[in-house]
Amino acid sequence: MPAPTTVTAVPPADSTTGTPAIEVQGLTFRYPGASQDSLHDVDLAIQPGDFVAVVGGNGSGKTTLCKAFNGLVPHFWNGDITGRVRIHGRSTARRSVGEISHDVGYVFQDFGNQLVRPTVRDDVSFGPLNFGHEDWADRTDRALASLGLGDVAATHTWQLSGGQQHLTALAGALALAPSVLVVDEPAAEVDPRRAAVVYEHLTRLNQEHGITVVVIEHHAELIARYARSVVLMSDGRVRWHLPVREALARRDDLAEAHVPDPQVVALSRALVPEIARGERPVPITVDECADLLRPSVRTSAQDGPAPSGPDGLPPADEVGRPLVARMVGVEHGYRTVSGDRHTVLRDLDLDLHDGDRVALVGSNGAGKSSLLSVLSGLAVPRAGTVEVDGRDTRSVPAASLADTVCYLVQRPEEMFLQDSVRADVAMHPRGRRASDADELVEEVLARVDLSRFADRDGRLLSGGQQRRATLAIGLAMRPRLLLLDEPTSSLDLASRDDVIGMLDALSDHIRCTVVATHDMHLVAEWASRVVVLDQGRVIADTDPRTLFSSPDVLDQARLVPPQVTQVGAALRLPVLPLTVEELVRQASSRPAEETA
Amino acid sequence: MTAVATDRPTLPTPADGPAAAERGGRRKSVRSGFDRVTVEWVKLELMRVAYATRGGFLARRDPRAVLGWYLVCAVVPWLTYSTPALAVFFVLALACALAARIGPLLLGLFTLGLLGQAAYVLVLVFVLGGNAAAIDGLLQISLKLGAISLASMAAFVSLDPEKLSDGLQALRAPAVLGFGVSYGYRMVPLLIDEFQTIVDGHRLRGAPPRGHGFLGWRTAVRIGTIAVQAFYPLILNTAKRTRTTVEALETRGFSPTGTDDPGRRLRLAHLRFTWADATLLLVTLGIGVSVLVLL
Repeated sequence: MPAPTTVTAVPPADSTTGTPAIEVQGLTFRYPGASQDSLHDVDLAIQPGDFVAVVGGNGSGKTTLCKAFNGLVPHFWNGDITGRVRIHGRSTARRSVGEISHDVGYVFQDFGNQLVRPTVRDDVSFGPLNFGHEDWADRTDRALASLGLGDVAATHTWQLSGGQQHLTALAGALALAPSVLVVDEPAAEVDPRRAAVVYEHLTRLNQEHGITVVVIEHHAELIARYARSVVLMSDGRVRWHLPVREALARRDDLAEAHVPDPQVVALSRALVPEIARGERPVPITVDECADLLRPSVRTSAQDGPAPSGPDGLPPADEVGRPLVARMVGVEHGYRTVSGDRHTVLRDLDLDLHDGDRVALVGSNGAGKSSLLSVLSGLAVPRAGTVEVDGRDTRSVPAASLADTVCYLVQRPEEMFLQDSVRADVAMHPRGRRASDADELVEEVLARVDLSRFADRDGRLLSGGQQRRATLAIGLAMRPRLLLLDEPTSSLDLASRDDVIGMLDALSDHIRCTVVATHDMHLVAEWASRVVVLDQGRVIADTDPRTLFSSPDVLDQARLVPPQVTQVGAALRLPVLPLTVEELVRQASSRPAEETA
Repeated sequence: MTAVATDRPTLPTPADGPAAAERGGRRKSVRSGFDRVTVEWVKLELMRVAYATRGGFLARRDPRAVLGWYLVCAVVPWLTYSTPALAVFFVLALACALAARIGPLLLGLFTLGLLGQAAYVLVLVFVLGGNAAAIDGLLQISLKLGAISLASMAAFVSLDPEKLSDGLQALRAPAVLGFGVSYGYRMVPLLIDEFQTIVDGHRLRGAPPRGHGFLGWRTAVRIGTIAVQAFYPLILNTAKRTRTTVEALETRGFSPTGTDDPGRRLRLAHLRFTWADATLLLVTLGIGVSVLVLL
């Protein structure tokens, strides 16, 4: 075991009592009917005021452990249990889940389902009212104010964005004034920028109010930025509990738990030998990393002042690629409940060409999904024309357009219409009586590596498998234009890379792919063209490199480039790197140029 | 970028056949976006109904008074066999419904239902050898049902989910009922959205329609089949959702089995049964009784 020297050894302990906020001793738990333990002989102590990230692969017992903190295990999920869980020294065994909720607040991964009342204020006051707290109104107001939800207090929860829903769920837990908050995968269903907002709030609660925070997380970048210590789970056991720097240095353990290195760690490991050998602590922010790398890529600063992309997007017409879809002067919108018309797309022109891999980016509500829905022919625009493969979408029913355009919606379970993956994939080719339907289905299933699960219900697959299944559905439709809405959201990073890889492999089979996404890694690694939407207008149409070197556009559309690109910009590299490999290549080729 | 830029010859896909045919044959029909806009409109209309955003004379009243008012309106028509009295009740109920602003969707559905029912019963009566006297009986039952339906629409359009569930709780209905009502309302928009996506999925991926058939029977069968098939994923997805909801309810202190609900008093503290509410009930009762007596 390497012994790092410069890291703080122990997370800050509560100086007043010395009792851990959460203490788990010899906890073993098995769900009823399960063949093996979900938790096995777990020992863990979390000090008050700590900010803990729990990491681990699928099925490692992270969520079960966290549900043991607030008593859902074993009071709600009865199973075979031995061992002890104490919250501030009090055992959870004899207390009800409701009682423990006053000590431990819990925000679920699918937080949307945690909201049970129509408006934000109602929902936040639900807990305090149920427990009969006389000061429920105060508690509600305080919780709303502390998360900045005052403005939306009267809004119906179904009208909120994902990020606001998450904060509402958090406020509902906070209204019981717990001293511990457990948040299951805050970044799973909201875009990274919004996840960061949740994290900022958690940090403030942690620092100003001394609330102990436990998050389940596999985005190493978020862990590095916000957590103070990391608990690694595998096979139902706690492998270790370490301060964050020390934890991030344990690359192999983390990789096993599907937590790939943050890009800054990967970079510094590739370029700084002492870090690769474990002799220096790893950098955990972009600035630290840039400082660390400056000596090794020092020469670049002299090369040129502005880091600008050398390969701007050549106009597609000049390349001579045929047109796949064209939107001219498109305007589209919807009516709100109050009867107002809300315009989402305004006077939008867009040409999509053969061979384009388009990433459609922009903040929530910028019109990404509306654009996809208009392109798919599901909706026809209020004004302007949309032509797909030479056909005006107004002149053709959506069902016929489906032979040319395939639209994969954001939530995979809404694409599973049959009781097995195979039947879902076969639906379109069989419906159109394609003579080669059977072979096609088998071939597509093999291509996305789902042949083994073909007879399972799509809803019972894991997140990554569900995405692959929807991709298979799309492939079997043999579209010319493939539209995907957030294909990588709520996936762990390994599954995300898997989906990106698969999209890469598909480029031979589909002429043009448009992906609406918040995921800048997907943009950097996959896209050949980025269309930035803001308030229903295209504010930039370029390649990823140029986009990431345009601070104005990034700011306006609220986009955050990948860490490696940020490091490249901080180092003022002449060619902005999009992947870790690119930066490493640039950095290592530089000294050679110099000597030559 | 250079690799994919090669101008590959168009892939021969099965889509070419029907697509090409369509280009020639289907030019005439132009989509106005109406097919989808109607779904949107129905959805919005339902939301307006559910959340009482239109206001109306009952929306300001205490929920207990509204429920009482509804009770009176639902019982009174059963106490008479006089067609004129029922006609008066019907007209009054219609006026109340309009004053409560029930909106075009409900009114349209109601009219359609009432007329449709009257028509087929009428046909049935004559086919089975009835006579003109049957029409009076028919009219009576239609007026009764119509008046009650209009009153119930007026009442429930005016109660948003919170008021309704508070009202039920104030009248000592089980806590689960009140919660169920408000949770049900919360789920409606989600379910409508999801249903729409699933139906779209069927439309796009399922077998394409082969013409409308005689009197559009093919289209009718297709719509019916899709609507039924779409429920299966909808129910499964909802079941999956509620797993978290049930756990969350536990952590938030809502237990359906608990008999003593400490929050009940706090939750209902804001309800005020005023003179205006009492007047509404008395006037309704008065009108009801006087119509019964006079006609």
